[in-house]
Amino acid sequence: MPRNNVAWRRFIFVILIIASLALLTVTFREASSGPVHSIQQAGASILAPLQTWGAKIAEPFQDGYQWFKTLWSAHRRAERLEEELQTLKGEAIKLEETVEEYKRLQGLLDLRDKGVYPDGTDFTVADVIAKSPSRWSSWVLIDKGTADGVRTGLPVVGATPMTGETLAGKGLVGKVTEVTATTAKVQLIIDSDSAVNAKIQGNRAEGIVEGSISGDLTMDYVERDIAVDPKLVIVTSGYGPIYPADIPIGIVASVGEEDVNIYKEIEVQAFVDFRVLEEVMVLILPEEEP
Amino acid sequence: MSRGRLAEIGRVVLLVVIAVALQTLIVSRVSVLGVTADLFLTLTVVSAISRGPLYGAVFGFAAGVVADIAYMEPLGVRALIYVLMGYMVGSLVHRFATVNLWGVFLMAACASFLAQLAYGLFQYATGPRAGFFGMLATQVLPETVLDALITVPVYVLLIRLRVVPAPQAETAAAGTGPE
Repeated sequence: MPRNNVAWRRFIFVILIIASLALLTVTFREASSGPVHSIQQAGASILAPLQTWGAKIAEPFQDGYQWFKTLWSAHRRAERLEEELQTLKGEAIKLEETVEEYKRLQGLLDLRDKGVYPDGTDFTVADVIAKSPSRWSSWVLIDKGTADGVRTGLPVVGATPMTGETLAGKGLVGKVTEVTATTAKVQLIIDSDSAVNAKIQGNRAEGIVEGSISGDLTMDYVERDIAVDPKLVIVTSGYGPIYPADIPIGIVASVGEEDVNIYKEIEVQAFVDFRVLEEVMVLILPEEEP
Repeated sequence: MSRGRLAEIGRVVLLVVIAVALQTLIVSRVSVLGVTADLFLTLTVVSAISRGPLYGAVFGFAAGVVADIAYMEPLGVRALIYVLMGYMVGSLVHRFATVNLWGVFLMAACASFLAQLAYGLFQYATGPRAGFFGMLATQVLPETVLDALITVPVYVLLIRLRVVPAPQAETAAAGTGPE
Protein backbone atom coordinates (compact mmCIF):
# COMPACT_ATOMS: atom_id res chain seq x y z
CA MET A 1 0.00 0.00 0.00
CA PRO A 2 1.29 3.54 -0.74
CA ARG A 3 2.80 5.31 2.21
CA ASN A 4 2.52 9.01 1.33
CA ASN A 5 -0.50 11.13 0.48
CA VAL A 6 0.27 11.69 -3.19
CA ALA A 7 0.91 8.03 -3.86
CA TRP A 8 -2.23 7.11 -1.94
CA ARG A 9 -4.21 9.63 -3.92
CA ARG A 10 -2.94 8.28 -7.20
CA PHE A 11 -3.54 4.74 -6.08
CA ILE A 12 -7.17 5.45 -5.25
CA PHE A 13 -7.58 7.36 -8.50
CA VAL A 14 -6.28 4.42 -10.51
CA ILE A 15 -8.51 2.06 -8.56
CA LEU A 16 -11.55 4.23 -9.33
CA ILE A 17 -10.65 4.39 -13.01
CA ILE A 18 -10.27 0.64 -13.11
CA ALA A 19 -13.55 0.23 -11.26
CA SER A 20 -15.33 2.48 -13.70
CA LEU A 21 -13.91 0.69 -16.69
CA ALA A 22 -14.73 -2.64 -15.09
CA LEU A 23 -18.30 -1.55 -14.51
CA LEU A 24 -18.52 -0.33 -18.06
CA THR A 25 -17.06 -3.50 -19.46
CA VAL A 26 -19.25 -5.76 -17.36
CA THR A 27 -22.33 -3.72 -18.30
CA PHE A 28 -21.63 -4.23 -21.97
CA ARG A 29 -20.44 -7.80 -21.70
CA GLU A 30 -22.94 -9.40 -19.40
CA ALA A 31 -26.48 -10.38 -20.27
CA SER A 32 -29.33 -8.11 -19.33
CA SER A 33 -30.16 -10.45 -16.46
CA GLY A 34 -26.62 -10.26 -15.07
CA PRO A 35 -25.77 -8.98 -11.60
CA VAL A 36 -24.64 -5.49 -12.62
CA HIS A 37 -27.79 -4.94 -14.62
CA SER A 38 -29.80 -6.27 -11.72
CA ILE A 39 -28.11 -3.84 -9.35
CA GLN A 40 -28.75 -1.01 -11.77
CA GLN A 41 -32.40 -1.97 -12.15
CA ALA A 42 -32.78 -2.23 -8.40
CA GLY A 43 -31.23 1.20 -8.00
CA ALA A 44 -33.44 2.62 -10.68
CA SER A 45 -36.51 1.17 -9.00
CA ILE A 46 -35.44 2.86 -5.77
CA LEU A 47 -34.98 6.18 -7.53
CA ALA A 48 -38.16 5.82 -9.60
CA PRO A 49 -40.52 6.93 -6.80
CA LEU A 50 -38.29 9.91 -6.18
CA GLN A 51 -38.51 10.83 -9.82
CA THR A 52 -42.26 10.29 -9.79
CA TRP A 53 -42.64 12.52 -6.76
CA GLY A 54 -40.36 15.00 -8.42
CA ALA A 55 -42.59 15.03 -11.45
CA LYS A 56 -45.69 15.54 -9.31
CA ILE A 57 -44.09 18.27 -7.23
CA ALA A 58 -42.62 19.99 -10.23
CA GLU A 59 -45.75 19.75 -12.37
CA PRO A 60 -47.56 22.84 -11.04
CA PHE A 61 -44.34 24.84 -11.19
CA GLN A 62 -43.69 23.63 -14.71
CA ASP A 63 -47.26 24.41 -15.66
CA GLY A 64 -46.89 27.86 -14.14
CA TYR A 65 -43.61 28.39 -15.94
CA GLN A 66 -45.14 27.21 -19.21
CA TRP A 67 -48.12 29.46 -18.62
CA PHE A 68 -45.89 32.49 -18.11
CA LYS A 69 -43.75 31.45 -21.05
CA THR A 70 -46.81 31.09 -23.29
CA LEU A 71 -48.24 34.33 -21.97
CA TRP A 72 -44.98 36.15 -22.63
CA SER A 73 -44.75 34.58 -26.06
CA ALA A 74 -48.33 35.57 -26.83
CA HIS A 75 -47.62 39.07 -25.56
CA ARG A 76 -44.57 39.37 -27.80
CA ARG A 77 -46.53 37.97 -30.72
CA ALA A 78 -49.36 40.41 -30.10
CA GLU A 79 -46.87 43.29 -30.02
CA ARG A 80 -45.31 42.11 -33.26
CA LEU A 81 -48.70 41.71 -34.92
CA GLU A 82 -49.74 45.14 -33.65
CA GLU A 83 -46.63 46.64 -35.26
CA GLU A 84 -47.36 44.81 -38.49
CA LEU A 85 -50.96 45.98 -38.34
CA GLN A 86 -49.88 49.59 -37.88
CA THR A 87 -47.46 49.26 -40.79
CA LEU A 88 -50.13 47.72 -42.99
CA LYS A 89 -52.62 50.38 -41.93
CA GLY A 90 -50.09 53.03 -42.90
CA GLU A 91 -49.57 51.36 -46.25
CA ALA A 92 -53.34 51.04 -46.76
CA ILE A 93 -53.78 54.73 -46.00
CA LYS A 94 -51.03 55.58 -48.47
CA LEU A 95 -52.69 53.41 -51.10
CA GLU A 96 -56.06 55.02 -50.43
CA GLU A 97 -54.44 58.42 -50.77
CA THR A 98 -52.88 57.36 -54.03
CA VAL A 99 -56.23 56.10 -55.32
CA GLU A 100 -57.95 59.32 -54.28
CA GLU A 101 -55.23 61.37 -55.94
CA TYR A 102 -55.54 59.25 -59.05
CA LYS A 103 -59.29 59.86 -59.11
CA ARG A 104 -58.83 63.58 -58.70
CA LEU A 105 -56.22 63.73 -61.42
CA GLN A 106 -58.43 61.60 -63.61
CA GLY A 107 -61.19 64.15 -63.03
CA LEU A 108 -58.87 66.93 -64.11
CA LEU A 109 -57.97 64.97 -67.21
CA ASP A 110 -61.69 64.53 -67.95
CA LEU A 111 -62.15 68.26 -67.65
CA ARG A 112 -59.27 68.83 -70.01
CA ASP A 113 -60.30 66.23 -72.55
CA LYS A 114 -64.07 66.76 -72.55
CA GLY A 115 -64.13 70.51 -72.25
CA VAL A 116 -64.19 72.88 -75.22
CA TYR A 117 -61.56 75.53 -74.73
CA PRO A 118 -60.17 78.20 -76.98
CA ASP A 119 -57.48 77.10 -79.38
CA GLY A 120 -54.01 77.25 -77.89
CA THR A 121 -55.20 76.71 -74.34
CA ASP A 122 -52.59 75.05 -72.18
CA PHE A 123 -53.12 73.28 -68.91
CA THR A 124 -51.06 73.06 -65.77
CA VAL A 125 -51.93 71.00 -62.71
CA ALA A 126 -51.10 72.50 -59.35
CA ASP A 127 -51.30 71.40 -55.76
CA VAL A 128 -53.24 73.44 -53.26
CA ILE A 129 -50.71 74.50 -50.63
CA ALA A 130 -52.82 76.82 -48.51
CA LYS A 131 -56.39 77.88 -47.99
CA SER A 132 -58.01 81.04 -46.75
CA PRO A 133 -58.10 81.04 -42.99
CA SER A 134 -61.54 82.66 -42.64
CA ARG A 135 -64.86 82.90 -44.36
CA TRP A 136 -64.39 86.57 -45.12
CA SER A 137 -62.65 85.56 -48.27
CA SER A 138 -62.41 82.25 -50.05
CA TRP A 139 -59.22 81.48 -51.85
CA VAL A 140 -56.54 78.87 -52.21
CA LEU A 141 -52.84 79.16 -52.80
CA ILE A 142 -51.37 76.88 -55.46
CA ASP A 143 -47.78 75.86 -56.11
CA LYS A 144 -47.57 77.15 -59.67
CA GLY A 145 -46.72 80.70 -60.68
CA THR A 146 -45.39 82.80 -63.49
CA ALA A 147 -42.54 80.34 -63.97
CA ASP A 148 -45.18 77.86 -65.13
CA GLY A 149 -47.04 80.30 -67.31
CA VAL A 150 -49.66 81.22 -64.73
CA ARG A 151 -50.85 84.80 -64.75
CA THR A 152 -53.68 86.74 -63.19
CA GLY A 153 -57.14 86.38 -64.62
CA LEU A 154 -56.78 82.75 -65.70
CA PRO A 155 -59.62 80.37 -64.92
CA VAL A 156 -59.00 77.43 -62.66
CA VAL A 157 -60.90 74.17 -62.62
CA GLY A 158 -60.73 71.32 -60.18
CA ALA A 159 -61.86 67.84 -59.34
CA THR A 160 -62.81 66.51 -55.95
CA PRO A 161 -64.05 63.07 -54.99
CA MET A 162 -67.83 63.06 -55.19
CA THR A 163 -70.29 60.47 -56.34
CA GLY A 164 -73.62 60.63 -58.06
CA GLU A 165 -73.80 63.07 -60.91
CA THR A 166 -71.72 62.52 -64.02
CA LEU A 167 -70.05 65.82 -63.61
CA ALA A 168 -69.96 65.64 -59.85
CA GLY A 169 -66.68 66.72 -58.41
CA LYS A 170 -65.43 68.33 -61.59
CA GLY A 171 -65.95 71.94 -62.36
CA LEU A 172 -65.01 75.56 -62.06
CA VAL A 173 -62.94 76.55 -59.07
CA GLY A 174 -62.25 80.22 -59.64
CA LYS A 175 -59.69 82.52 -61.15
CA VAL A 176 -56.11 83.54 -60.47
CA THR A 177 -56.03 86.90 -58.72
CA GLU A 178 -52.42 87.18 -57.62
CA VAL A 179 -49.32 85.47 -58.81
CA THR A 180 -45.65 85.14 -57.91
CA ALA A 181 -42.93 83.22 -59.67
CA THR A 182 -43.80 79.97 -57.95
CA THR A 183 -47.25 80.44 -56.40
CA ALA A 184 -50.60 81.86 -57.29
CA LYS A 185 -53.66 82.89 -55.35
CA VAL A 186 -56.95 81.62 -56.72
CA GLN A 187 -60.18 83.35 -55.80
CA LEU A 188 -62.86 80.68 -55.46
CA ILE A 189 -66.27 81.12 -57.04
CA ILE A 190 -67.82 80.90 -53.57
CA ASP A 191 -65.92 84.04 -52.53
CA SER A 192 -68.33 86.89 -51.76
CA ASP A 193 -66.62 89.06 -54.41
CA SER A 194 -66.83 86.42 -57.12
CA ALA A 195 -69.21 86.75 -60.04
CA VAL A 196 -69.29 84.34 -62.96
CA ASN A 197 -71.36 84.73 -66.09
CA ALA A 198 -73.34 81.51 -66.34
CA LYS A 199 -76.16 79.81 -68.14
CA ILE A 200 -78.48 76.96 -67.36
CA GLN A 201 -78.26 74.03 -69.70
CA GLY A 202 -81.63 73.00 -71.05
CA ASN A 203 -83.37 76.35 -71.15
CA ARG A 204 -80.46 78.65 -71.97
CA ALA A 205 -81.36 81.00 -69.15
CA GLU A 206 -78.48 83.27 -68.35
CA GLY A 207 -77.39 84.99 -65.19
CA ILE A 208 -74.54 85.51 -62.81
CA VAL A 209 -73.35 82.99 -60.27
CA GLU A 210 -72.24 84.75 -57.11
CA GLY A 211 -70.50 83.62 -53.97
CA SER A 212 -71.24 84.67 -50.43
CA ILE A 213 -69.59 84.84 -47.05
CA SER A 214 -71.54 81.77 -46.00
CA GLY A 215 -69.95 79.85 -48.87
CA ASP A 216 -73.24 79.33 -50.69
CA LEU A 217 -73.61 79.93 -54.41
CA THR A 218 -76.56 81.69 -55.94
CA MET A 219 -77.48 82.43 -59.53
CA ASP A 220 -78.93 85.89 -59.99
CA TYR A 221 -80.42 87.86 -62.83
CA VAL A 222 -82.48 85.00 -64.25
CA GLU A 223 -85.78 86.30 -65.53
CA ARG A 224 -88.83 85.13 -63.57
CA ASP A 225 -90.72 84.07 -66.67
CA ILE A 226 -88.14 81.46 -67.56
CA ALA A 227 -88.92 78.04 -66.17
CA VAL A 228 -86.02 76.62 -64.18
CA ASP A 229 -86.16 73.13 -62.84
CA PRO A 230 -83.95 71.78 -60.08
CA LYS A 231 -81.08 69.50 -61.06
CA LEU A 232 -80.35 71.42 -64.23
CA VAL A 233 -76.70 71.94 -64.89
CA ILE A 234 -75.20 75.40 -64.76
CA VAL A 235 -72.13 76.16 -66.86
CA THR A 236 -70.14 79.24 -67.70
CA SER A 237 -71.67 81.30 -70.48
CA GLY A 238 -68.40 82.52 -71.94
CA TYR A 239 -69.27 86.17 -71.66
CA GLY A 240 -66.58 88.30 -70.21
CA PRO A 241 -62.83 88.12 -70.50
CA ILE A 242 -62.08 85.41 -67.95
CA TYR A 243 -64.08 82.22 -68.20
CA PRO A 244 -64.48 80.32 -71.47
CA ALA A 245 -67.90 78.88 -72.18
CA ASP A 246 -69.30 75.57 -70.99
CA ILE A 247 -67.17 74.98 -67.92
CA PRO A 248 -69.45 73.18 -65.45
CA ILE A 249 -70.20 75.09 -62.27
CA GLY A 250 -72.89 73.15 -60.51
CA ILE A 251 -76.56 72.22 -60.51
CA VAL A 252 -79.72 74.05 -59.59
CA ALA A 253 -80.40 73.12 -56.00
CA SER A 254 -83.60 75.13 -55.50
CA VAL A 255 -85.58 77.86 -57.22
CA GLY A 256 -87.42 80.65 -55.45
CA GLU A 257 -89.31 83.78 -56.34
CA GLU A 258 -90.22 86.89 -54.38
CA ASP A 259 -92.79 89.51 -55.32
CA VAL A 260 -90.36 92.33 -54.78
CA ASN A 261 -87.67 90.71 -56.93
CA ILE A 262 -87.92 90.68 -60.69
CA TYR A 263 -85.44 87.80 -60.87
CA LYS A 264 -85.57 84.25 -59.66
CA GLU A 265 -83.63 83.24 -56.59
CA ILE A 266 -81.66 80.16 -57.60
CA GLU A 267 -79.46 78.32 -55.19
CA VAL A 268 -76.61 76.50 -56.83
CA GLN A 269 -74.80 73.45 -55.59
CA ALA A 270 -71.24 73.55 -56.87
CA PHE A 271 -69.78 70.47 -58.44
CA VAL A 272 -66.52 71.02 -56.67
CA ASP A 273 -66.34 70.38 -52.94
CA PHE A 274 -64.15 73.31 -51.94
CA ARG A 275 -63.51 71.89 -48.48
CA VAL A 276 -61.43 69.02 -49.84
CA LEU A 277 -59.78 70.68 -52.80
CA GLU A 278 -56.23 69.36 -53.16
CA GLU A 279 -55.33 69.69 -56.83
CA VAL A 280 -56.49 72.16 -59.44
CA MET A 281 -55.84 72.76 -63.08
CA VAL A 282 -55.10 76.22 -64.40
CA LEU A 283 -56.37 76.88 -67.90
CA ILE A 284 -53.59 78.87 -69.48
CA LEU A 285 -55.53 80.65 -72.16
CA PRO A 286 -53.67 82.24 -75.04
CA GLU A 287 -52.91 85.85 -74.34
CA GLU A 288 -55.02 88.29 -76.30
CA GLU A 289 -53.30 90.54 -78.76
CA PRO A 290 -53.00 94.09 -77.40
CA MET B 1 -11.64 3.20 10.35
CA SER B 2 -11.29 6.51 12.20
CA ARG B 3 -14.26 8.73 13.04
CA GLY B 4 -12.90 11.43 10.74
CA ARG B 5 -12.80 9.06 7.81
CA LEU B 6 -16.34 7.89 8.58
CA ALA B 7 -17.50 11.49 8.73
CA GLU B 8 -15.96 12.15 5.33
CA ILE B 9 -17.71 9.12 3.86
CA GLY B 10 -20.91 10.35 5.46
CA ARG B 11 -20.48 13.72 3.80
CA VAL B 12 -19.91 12.07 0.44
CA VAL B 13 -23.07 10.01 0.88
CA LEU B 14 -25.02 13.07 2.04
CA LEU B 15 -23.87 15.12 -0.92
CA VAL B 16 -24.71 12.34 -3.34
CA VAL B 17 -28.19 12.04 -1.85
CA ILE B 18 -28.62 15.79 -2.09
CA ALA B 19 -27.42 15.67 -5.68
CA VAL B 20 -29.83 12.89 -6.58
CA ALA B 21 -32.74 14.63 -4.91
CA LEU B 22 -32.09 18.04 -6.42
CA GLN B 23 -31.22 16.69 -9.85
CA THR B 24 -34.30 14.50 -10.13
CA LEU B 25 -36.70 16.81 -8.33
CA ILE B 26 -35.73 20.19 -9.71
CA VAL B 27 -32.72 20.58 -11.93
CA SER B 28 -33.57 18.02 -14.59
CA ARG B 29 -36.98 19.67 -15.01
CA VAL B 30 -35.70 23.16 -15.61
CA SER B 31 -34.50 23.67 -19.15
CA VAL B 32 -32.44 26.75 -19.96
CA LEU B 33 -31.35 27.35 -23.55
CA GLY B 34 -32.62 23.86 -24.29
CA VAL B 35 -30.32 22.11 -21.81
CA THR B 36 -30.45 21.16 -18.16
CA ALA B 37 -27.67 21.60 -15.63
CA ASP B 38 -25.72 18.56 -14.43
CA LEU B 39 -25.75 18.82 -10.65
CA PHE B 40 -23.73 15.61 -10.24
CA LEU B 41 -20.87 17.19 -12.14
CA THR B 42 -21.36 20.50 -10.34
CA LEU B 43 -21.06 18.86 -6.95
CA THR B 44 -18.09 16.82 -8.11
CA VAL B 45 -16.33 20.05 -9.09
CA VAL B 46 -17.27 21.73 -5.80
CA SER B 47 -16.02 18.74 -3.82
CA ALA B 48 -12.78 18.65 -5.75
CA ILE B 49 -12.17 22.36 -5.31
CA SER B 50 -12.88 22.36 -1.60
CA ARG B 51 -11.31 19.05 -0.60
CA GLY B 52 -8.82 18.07 -3.23
CA PRO B 53 -8.36 15.52 -6.00
CA LEU B 54 -8.89 12.34 -4.01
CA TYR B 55 -12.13 13.49 -2.49
CA GLY B 56 -13.20 14.84 -5.89
CA ALA B 57 -12.44 11.54 -7.59
CA VAL B 58 -14.25 9.48 -4.94
CA PHE B 59 -17.25 11.76 -5.00
CA GLY B 60 -17.18 11.75 -8.80
CA PHE B 61 -17.21 7.97 -8.85
CA ALA B 62 -20.11 7.74 -6.42
CA ALA B 63 -22.06 10.48 -8.17
CA GLY B 64 -21.35 8.93 -11.56
CA VAL B 65 -22.59 5.50 -10.52
CA VAL B 66 -25.76 7.01 -9.08
CA ALA B 67 -26.23 9.14 -12.21
CA ASP B 68 -25.82 6.10 -14.43
CA ILE B 69 -28.43 4.29 -12.37
CA ALA B 70 -30.80 7.26 -12.32
CA TYR B 71 -30.49 7.86 -16.05
CA MET B 72 -30.51 4.13 -16.89
CA GLU B 73 -27.31 4.40 -18.81
CA PRO B 74 -24.46 1.88 -19.06
CA LEU B 75 -23.02 1.69 -15.58
CA GLY B 76 -19.55 3.20 -15.36
CA VAL B 77 -19.73 5.84 -18.12
CA ARG B 78 -20.45 8.85 -15.99
CA ALA B 79 -18.51 7.30 -13.11
CA LEU B 80 -15.39 7.25 -15.28
CA ILE B 81 -15.95 10.77 -16.58
CA TYR B 82 -16.68 12.26 -13.16
CA VAL B 83 -13.68 10.51 -11.60
CA LEU B 84 -11.47 12.10 -14.23
CA MET B 85 -13.09 15.51 -13.78
CA GLY B 86 -12.94 15.38 -9.99
CA TYR B 87 -9.32 14.40 -9.99
CA MET B 88 -8.38 16.93 -12.63
CA VAL B 89 -10.10 19.86 -10.90
CA GLY B 90 -8.72 18.86 -7.49
CA SER B 91 -5.22 18.60 -8.90
CA LEU B 92 -5.53 22.01 -10.55
CA VAL B 93 -6.59 23.61 -7.28
CA HIS B 94 -3.64 21.99 -5.55
CA ARG B 95 -1.24 23.08 -8.23
CA PHE B 96 -2.41 26.68 -8.71
CA ALA B 97 -4.31 27.32 -5.49
CA THR B 98 -6.96 29.14 -7.53
CA VAL B 99 -9.96 29.13 -5.27
CA ASN B 100 -11.64 32.45 -5.98
CA LEU B 101 -15.07 32.50 -7.60
CA TRP B 102 -13.75 33.20 -11.08
CA GLY B 103 -11.51 30.18 -10.67
CA VAL B 104 -14.52 28.12 -9.64
CA PHE B 105 -16.43 29.36 -12.66
CA LEU B 106 -13.60 28.59 -15.07
CA MET B 107 -12.87 25.18 -13.63
CA ALA B 108 -16.54 24.25 -13.70
CA ALA B 109 -16.76 25.40 -17.31
CA CYS B 110 -13.66 23.40 -18.30
CA ALA B 111 -14.89 20.32 -16.44
CA SER B 112 -18.34 20.54 -17.98
CA PHE B 113 -16.92 21.06 -21.46
CA LEU B 114 -14.50 18.13 -21.18
CA ALA B 115 -17.10 15.90 -19.54
CA GLN B 116 -19.54 16.54 -22.34
CA LEU B 117 -16.90 15.97 -24.97
CA ALA B 118 -16.04 12.66 -23.34
CA TYR B 119 -19.68 11.71 -23.04
CA GLY B 120 -20.28 12.79 -26.63
CA LEU B 121 -17.36 10.61 -27.71
CA PHE B 122 -18.92 7.69 -25.88
CA GLN B 123 -22.26 8.36 -27.52
CA TYR B 124 -20.57 8.69 -30.88
CA ALA B 125 -18.93 5.30 -30.43
CA THR B 126 -21.97 3.46 -29.16
CA GLY B 127 -25.14 5.37 -29.89
CA PRO B 128 -26.76 7.74 -32.31
CA ARG B 129 -24.38 9.97 -34.20
CA ALA B 130 -24.79 13.70 -34.45
CA GLY B 131 -22.82 16.44 -36.15
CA PHE B 132 -19.98 17.70 -34.01
CA PHE B 133 -20.56 21.40 -34.52
CA GLY B 134 -24.30 21.02 -34.20
CA MET B 135 -23.93 19.32 -30.83
CA LEU B 136 -21.30 21.85 -29.83
CA ALA B 137 -23.69 24.71 -30.45
CA THR B 138 -26.89 23.15 -29.16
CA GLN B 139 -25.66 21.05 -26.26
CA VAL B 140 -22.04 21.36 -25.22
CA LEU B 141 -21.57 25.13 -25.08
CA PRO B 142 -24.96 26.00 -23.53
CA GLU B 143 -24.54 23.35 -20.85
CA THR B 144 -20.97 24.44 -20.23
CA VAL B 145 -22.19 27.95 -19.49
CA LEU B 146 -25.14 26.73 -17.45
CA ASP B 147 -23.04 24.33 -15.35
CA ALA B 148 -20.46 27.01 -14.71
CA LEU B 149 -23.15 29.50 -13.69
CA ILE B 150 -24.78 26.95 -11.38
CA THR B 151 -21.52 25.86 -9.79
CA VAL B 152 -20.59 29.23 -8.35
CA PRO B 153 -23.70 29.74 -6.17
CA VAL B 154 -23.77 26.05 -5.22
CA TYR B 155 -20.15 26.33 -4.15
CA VAL B 156 -20.82 29.43 -2.06
CA LEU B 157 -23.97 27.93 -0.55
CA LEU B 158 -22.35 24.65 0.45
CA ILE B 159 -19.47 26.48 2.09
CA ARG B 160 -21.88 28.72 3.99
CA LEU B 161 -23.80 25.65 5.11
CA ARG B 162 -20.50 23.97 6.05
CA VAL B 163 -21.35 20.94 3.96
CA VAL B 164 -17.94 21.33 2.35
CA PRO B 165 -15.00 23.05 4.01
CA ALA B 166 -13.91 26.55 3.09
CA PRO B 167 -11.15 26.74 0.50
CA GLN B 168 -7.70 26.17 1.91
CA ALA B 169 -5.51 27.99 -0.55
CA GLU B 170 -2.49 28.06 1.71
CA THR B 171 -2.48 24.37 2.40
CA ALA B 172 -3.32 23.63 -1.21
CA ALA B 173 -0.43 25.75 -2.39
CA ALA B 174 1.83 23.98 0.07
CA GLY B 175 0.82 20.63 -1.39
CA THR B 176 -0.70 19.29 1.80
CA GLY B 177 -4.23 18.84 0.74
CA PRO B 178 -6.95 17.90 3.17
CA GLU B 179 -7.40 14.35 1.97
